[in-house]
Amino acid sequence: MEQQAYWAIGIFLVIYALIISEKIHRTIVAMIGGLMMVAFGIVNQETALHHIDFNTLGLLIGMMIIVSITADTGLFKFIAVWAAKKSKGNPVRIMVALAIITAVGSAFLDNVTTVLLMVPVTFSITRQLRVPPIPFLITQIIASNVGGTATLIGDPPNIMIGSAVKELTFMAFINNLAPIAIIIMIVFIPLFVILFRKQIQTKPEHTQSIMDMDEKQLITDRKLLYKCLTVLGLTILGFFLHQSLHLESATVALAGAFVLLLLTGEHMMEEAFTKVEWTTIFFFVGLFVLVSGLIETGVIAKLAAQAIELTDGNMVATSMLILWISAIASAFLDNIPFVATMIPLIQEMGNMGVSNLEPLWWSLALGACLGGNGTLIGASANLIVAGMSGKEGHPIKFVQFMKYGFPLMLLSVVLASIYMYFRYLI
Amino acid sequence: MRLIYRYNNAVVQISETPNEADIEFKIHTLTDEHWAGFKELQKSFEDNEIYTDVLFYAYEDHRCTAIVRQDYYVDFILGLLKHQLLESVEWTK
Repeated sequence: MEQQAYWAIGIFLVIYALIISEKIHRTIVAMIGGLMMVAFGIVNQETALHHIDFNTLGLLIGMMIIVSITADTGLFKFIAVWAAKKSKGNPVRIMVALAIITAVGSAFLDNVTTVLLMVPVTFSITRQLRVPPIPFLITQIIASNVGGTATLIGDPPNIMIGSAVKELTFMAFINNLAPIAIIIMIVFIPLFVILFRKQIQTKPEHTQSIMDMDEKQLITDRKLLYKCLTVLGLTILGFFLHQSLHLESATVALAGAFVLLLLTGEHMMEEAFTKVEWTTIFFFVGLFVLVSGLIETGVIAKLAAQAIELTDGNMVATSMLILWISAIASAFLDNIPFVATMIPLIQEMGNMGVSNLEPLWWSLALGACLGGNGTLIGASANLIVAGMSGKEGHPIKFVQFMKYGFPLMLLSVVLASIYMYFRYLI
Repeated sequence: MRLIYRYNNAVVQISETPNEADIEFKIHTLTDEHWAGFKELQKSFEDNEIYTDVLFYAYEDHRCTAIVRQDYYVDFILGLLKHQLLESVEWTK
């Protein structure tokens, strides 16, 4: 390797270590890493810009705008209270209902946004029932990572994979990942009940107070709600059809966002833009440029060659290796930088003659998304819920979460391995 | 020092009771105008970055329960005053 490659590896490792250490905000670190790749001449600015995946960024920004406006209508609170009443105010049933809502919301909105909407209403319901919120929050974190696995827009790793590999359409993600995500949720729900039912007992009078609530009062603006539901519905339909329409998923999401802003008027625009998580967007920008340094200097190609050598080109071994390494790595590291590094590595395997890359992409998606359940730092959704809960006086401790999350993560990856083997590898 | 508040029974009915470490208010507004004021108060607490300062539970017929954290009791009372659900507020020994 050339001198430039060693510089690229050095910058990458230092930046990666700083991201893991969480001493400095990950966005600042990633952006500095990306800028160092340019400043040290490892990539020039034009090449760096070329490596920034604007489809990933556009998709995230578009969905953040749509969801932030929709949240203002009270829709998500309405759904949660409606579900609580349908559960007859029973805390165990409510916990399961909120976990299912989180999983479905995560699949079609994205899991980070979904937990941001679910946590406040969870505090409200659990306070009324006088039960601890933490079992509800832990099950929602786990459900968000499983639900997010099911679609292209559900979890940042899938957004990145879907964006990098044009053949993997929204429908391809649903056809290939939704079945296993549903199987995992079906297995997890009875386990949630067994694990948490004793912690969330309540009295009949508290149950009654939930039943007496009028969920219709939670809808704050009916006109806006109809506009949001129409645009959200059309956007999701657009995702299903994006390949036939010859449109990228980012185009669909941004079209939805700006049509909604057109319908709601300028006054909503400023507020909607402030709710876009710009720190996440710039984190992605920094990572894309950081990884570009490894790609342009041939480091990724070398790693891919070594991976092929290690597995002898055997598809079962390669697929299982990617699935399990992704899961374990994603449990302890942020899965976004991990996937940003793995994508060019798998692409390089294709350039080196591995003919069918599809199982490898699904292995990466399953490993990175499900692995996020292993620990509290495994996925962005986990950190967001833990932060919100801690701020309100209900801290979720690292070991407390891991006690539930890690075994469930291992179980989900075992199920995913069986699914992968029987669906793609025999 | 204790906070004493007065309200007009003809437009709003308010009762407060302890609820674990918090204070629970049962509020019934008798006019649409006062209900609208109460909803504005609710929005101001729901839009801030603290999720458990005041938790609101809406029922039929302009009735609502608010569970207020001790450290937000004064803010809540002043909010009721601001939206004209109270007529006066004063500190007493």
